[in-house]
Amino acid sequence: MNLYVAALGFGLISVSVISIAAVGFTMQFGITNMINLAYGEVMMVSGYAAFYANQAGVNIWVALIPGALVGAVLSFLLNRFLYAPFQRKGTNLIGMVIISLAASLMIANVMLPIVGYYTSSYVVDQGPLLRSNGLVLTTAQIAIIAVAVILMLGVHGLLRYTRLGKAMRATAANPTLARNCGIPTQRVIDVVWLITGALCGVAGVVAGMNSENFSVASGAGYLITIIAAAVLGGAGQPYGAMIGALIIGIVTELSAAAIAPEYKEVVAFAILVLVMVLRPQGLLAKRGALAAAG
Amino acid sequence: MNSYYAATLLVYAGVDIIACLALNLQFGVSGIVNFSFIVFQAIGAYTAAVLSMPPDTAYGGYQSYVGGFQLPFPIPWIGGALAGGLLAIPVGLVVLRKLRTDYQAISLLVLSVIANSVITNVRPFLNGAAGIAQVPGPFSDQVDPLSQSYQLLYVGLTIPCVLLVWLVASRIVNSPFGRSLRAMREHELAASALGKNPVQLKMTIFIVGGIIGGLSGAILVGFIAVVAPSIWLYPETIILFAAVIVGGRGNNLGAILGALLVPVGFEEATRLIPPTIGGWVPPPNLIPAMQWVAIGLLIIGFLWFRPQGVRPEQRRVFEGAPIREDSNDARPA
Amino acid sequence: MPAPRDQPVLVATGIHRHFEGMHAVDGVDVEVLSARITGLIGPNGAGKSTFLAVLAGTLPASSGKIVFEGEDITRLPAYQRARRGLVRTFQLPSEFAQLTVLENLLVAAQHHRGDSLLGALLGKRYWIDDERRLVAEARALLKRFGMTAKESDYAGTMSGGQKRLIEIMRALMLKPKVLLLDEPMSGVHPRVVQEIQRYLESLRDEGYTILMVEHELHMVERLCDSVYVMAQGKVIGSGTMASLRRQREIVDAYLVG
Repeated sequence: MNLYVAALGFGLISVSVISIAAVGFTMQFGITNMINLAYGEVMMVSGYAAFYANQAGVNIWVALIPGALVGAVLSFLLNRFLYAPFQRKGTNLIGMVIISLAASLMIANVMLPIVGYYTSSYVVDQGPLLRSNGLVLTTAQIAIIAVAVILMLGVHGLLRYTRLGKAMRATAANPTLARNCGIPTQRVIDVVWLITGALCGVAGVVAGMNSENFSVASGAGYLITIIAAAVLGGAGQPYGAMIGALIIGIVTELSAAAIAPEYKEVVAFAILVLVMVLRPQGLLAKRGALAAAG
Repeated sequence: MNSYYAATLLVYAGVDIIACLALNLQFGVSGIVNFSFIVFQAIGAYTAAVLSMPPDTAYGGYQSYVGGFQLPFPIPWIGGALAGGLLAIPVGLVVLRKLRTDYQAISLLVLSVIANSVITNVRPFLNGAAGIAQVPGPFSDQVDPLSQSYQLLYVGLTIPCVLLVWLVASRIVNSPFGRSLRAMREHELAASALGKNPVQLKMTIFIVGGIIGGLSGAILVGFIAVVAPSIWLYPETIILFAAVIVGGRGNNLGAILGALLVPVGFEEATRLIPPTIGGWVPPPNLIPAMQWVAIGLLIIGFLWFRPQGVRPEQRRVFEGAPIREDSNDARPA
Repeated sequence: MPAPRDQPVLVATGIHRHFEGMHAVDGVDVEVLSARITGLIGPNGAGKSTFLAVLAGTLPASSGKIVFEGEDITRLPAYQRARRGLVRTFQLPSEFAQLTVLENLLVAAQHHRGDSLLGALLGKRYWIDDERRLVAEARALLKRFGMTAKESDYAGTMSGGQKRLIEIMRALMLKPKVLLLDEPMSGVHPRVVQEIQRYLESLRDEGYTILMVEHELHMVERLCDSVYVMAQGKVIGSGTMASLRRQREIVDAYLVG
């Protein structure tokens, strides 16, 4: 039983990491209709940015800032100079998917000569252990969960209570209508990519903290779990992504304890396939998200 | 030119051409974004391998794999092709029925990543990360595999396969069946409103593509004598996509051209890069990394400037058609 | 189409269509009579296009029954309904852009020897006769609708009105028993609208059955033999336009002159 309680503990941290990433990813899709397959790679690059800061003596928690900044800027540039021009040109959904895949490959392969093939890890002071009901977590792990909770509350607050949030929701629901109502959709979209890029960056650093090590190859692995969580929750739905992250995080950790740790991603994939077959619109469907063939 | 080099080039070209023709049928003609194509080539290779290898206990059992039936040519090649087709059935039934196209693409991409990961981790199945080595090629017990005659023999076996696949692809693309596939690609809903069954069309061409992809894998493994997960990582599919996009979507000549330009031409061109450039030695692995960056740029560049590819899909004019005015040379975006 | 006039060829009863809590179609009964043009009108959001999609099979009905020529087709997918002669067009342009105008029509082949994998693999000689016959049929249609010169042009480069005609011709290639037209005049130049009107009238006179979702009331008045009015997912009236004008509720709900 202890094994499963421990797995539950890992599950909570997994949920935290995945939720930060998945919320950013799903908002990119919801508001700009872009399945950003380069998301995992941006996470990886941000993770490395924090790594270099960390190597230079910066505390890893402070290094979240350069991580978030790099994520924000890189994501913004990606949209401004690659995605948006193609979308304006009228490229169809499939073309955009291919383009984002090409972008992800390019980013990964530009990083390779710079950072090398070997793995790296952060210097993290785990801090004292905290116990409760058989759950044992380090302070650092609790902090990760706290960061996730703060960010989720932040996203909720942003969407519900700020003008920007309302503008974002309007743009997501119907961009033409939003524009006609005077919402500067272009500016909203730019801001969305900055914010979600920052989330992506933080997620990259936190993911690095949660693993023993990471490398350029980590990017692809992140992407699978994130897509699974986002689709499970309902593509484009931030609250859905949080729920999706909760389910994926717990289930993958429990199955890792039950079967073997190497198959975490396989479990996430299996969930993804099940969702797509049984309920493709996800748990919290966006109205019309799954309308006619894309 | 060294004849070993020429033979290698020809066999690789043949394999790539066959693969691109298959992917073109799925993607260029029918609009199925099969991001898992490399898995079908891999299953063809693995199947051909385990059909032609001796049982894994031989040679001291340092490799661990299923099968080992030591079957002679052409059974391993036929088996590889069939395996590709058989794999296409469950994958197609799950992915191609109800999902919108971008979800289909992502599912297939994820499948590609997962399949590689599973094969790597489950060692007794297909020898895990090390893969299967010392795969005997066709007639390798009668002709010395290291000899020049064997190289010629292999080319002689590959070329008829290329021609056969080209014939099949041609007949499909230039037939009313091909026209239905293209209609489905253009507007699936309208095609079904005209009586076409999109699921049946997709499954059919997915399986056909799987068979041809499997064949390409079988041909490859017989030549290079090894198949391992590192050879079929998910980005390998992207090279083939780049080839089809660059060469020209939807038509076979375009696919062949793309195969010659991208996987073959590109590889050969980078081979010519000298080991030092003006005294500077590039770090190892810089060239392969830059190759990938170039592939990405190729895809993006072509999709921006010339999405129809070097050789676009040709306009089909039927016998007895009225003479067209010159001004009507426009094609849709 | 030698079918007798005024037979109930397509009967929908109790059709509901709800999705994510919205009741787009909320209990609709419609009877389409043969060799007639029936209109389906109503304000935006009334559920007309959704209902048409349910009839065509593009969307499944949440409940209700659809009987076509005496056969219950409620569970049939769209492509099978098309094969039985229930053919729809779309509101937004839906031509096969990268195919020529002629090819667009040829797609609508039924029982073509070359339209299967096996047929394709057997080669041109196997299916060339069917193809020649089909091309002749298609060219006859092109001639009737005045698009002979555009035969080898890409459908995607055609104007809005031409695309509409292509869609109608495509549907006609299937020799449909019932044509479901979704706003066939929308986005079309007024002059072409008149043309399309005349084509629809002549089709009706030849015995074709048409159910048409349309916005333009003048059009509906001219063309439709009878009309169903929908609002908020329900049918609020039916009959000829003249009789409908007399019903106060309908006028209030929708008709503005």
